[in-house]
Amino acid sequence: MILNKLFQKNRHFFVLSFLLVISFQGHGFGFSHIKGEEHFDIQSGSLMGLLHVSYVNEYDNQHSVLVGLGYIPKLSNHKEMLLHSLRYRYDFAKTWQVKDMILNPLSLGVGLLVSSHDDLFLDLPAQYPDGYYAPSAMRIIFNYQATLQIRPHFQAYFDVSVLDVGLISYIREPDFFYDNYDYLGLEGITNWGVGVRYGF
Amino acid sequence: MDFKHDAWFKPVTLAAIMALTLSGCNYEISPWATDPNCSNKVSIEYNLNRLAEFEEQVGVRDTYQVAIVSDPQSYPGAFENVIEHVNTLEDVDFILLTGDLADTGIKAEFEWVCTVMEKAKQPIFAVIGNHDALAFGKDIWSKYFGPEDYSFTYQNSKFIAYNDNKYEFANVPDRDWLAQETQGYEDRDFTIVTSHIAPWDSDLALSQELKDLGVDLGLHGHVHRFDFWQLFDVQLPHYEATFTKDESFGLLSVNPAGLTLENCTLSQCEVAQVRNR
Repeated sequence: MILNKLFQKNRHFFVLSFLLVISFQGHGFGFSHIKGEEHFDIQSGSLMGLLHVSYVNEYDNQHSVLVGLGYIPKLSNHKEMLLHSLRYRYDFAKTWQVKDMILNPLSLGVGLLVSSHDDLFLDLPAQYPDGYYAPSAMRIIFNYQATLQIRPHFQAYFDVSVLDVGLISYIREPDFFYDNYDYLGLEGITNWGVGVRYGF
Repeated sequence: MDFKHDAWFKPVTLAAIMALTLSGCNYEISPWATDPNCSNKVSIEYNLNRLAEFEEQVGVRDTYQVAIVSDPQSYPGAFENVIEHVNTLEDVDFILLTGDLADTGIKAEFEWVCTVMEKAKQPIFAVIGNHDALAFGKDIWSKYFGPEDYSFTYQNSKFIAYNDNKYEFANVPDRDWLAQETQGYEDRDFTIVTSHIAPWDSDLALSQELKDLGVDLGLHGHVHRFDFWQLFDVQLPHYEATFTKDESFGLLSVNPAGLTLENCTLSQCEVAQVRNR
């Protein structure tokens, strides 16, 4: 319920996310000692929209906070919609030199995804008793990334994401996924996407 | 820390990336997509045809059973175990899946449930639940399953499925349609209704109305436990099947003597006794 109130409107969530990143950035709250590197990130797929643009702040070469905005075009049964995201990514510090490039094969992340559409809600519509449903417009997403640093300020990455309900179901009933999907059942819960990242 | 000189690092990394690349074979842009990979085997129309063919094949059966499976939401594995068990029950002629196939109404949940439904050896008829209408579930339902209200006759008994999810749909249940569908009950063996939610406490008059329309039994889900009740002054029994997380289901036996209901696990069944309330 606290989350409900906290994220009453998508724009509030977006503004809150932005402020959070700005605050980490140290532009207003005096935490300049933790100011990180800034990146601009564009991603497609992986449940993040046809296009998802994010502002990234990276600290200590390992911790990144991303705030982003995605676009989903009109699909067969619903009109176009926007996605707002607030994500965290941890880059494991194990790298592999590939000619002039550097491969970081393992980054793990978690994020909050909020969509804006008339058929989805953050606050329960009036007809429901309190707590009847969790917000249908908000999902938690987990992701894996392998990143290739092509130039000093330019990275390309491959992303595999799992939705909250997918991860929970997989952990809870792995046999169902082993039996019905390939690759240890991961085929039943994962989605891929690609992206590029540019450092300022 | 640089692992580039470690012998194991390169092959393990490559293998991990390849496995994950191949496993993540779906390119999806939205968690709220509306195209689960369901075949027409889950549609009501397909299963009506299957049941009609089966009835023609077996002719008149004095005795048969109907499995009542409910609320598989988020537990596709337990649902699969129940369906695989029901597949072994020779007297079960069809399955009623009494709603909440999904939990949050997203594509992935419907996809998992469809995977299991397609394994049912008997015709399987889904009834829409309140959770199925979340997000874009209504669209998925109409595209892959079919109507929210429908009926069919099997062995001279009529089964009427109706939508009673009042929070998600306006003007349900459709009482005019129910009155129309129940006409001619005097000439049938039994008239049985099924919906995800049994008559609401705020609308218990529905039970009396159904009784007046000649209905003999209601089959439902939603409450996640077995219950079998009738209003003392109405005497129309309503059976509620538990959710599949319990790896349990209901079993309706139809025979000339009447209707019997059992609460079943994968190892045993126990006759359900109706209680007055």
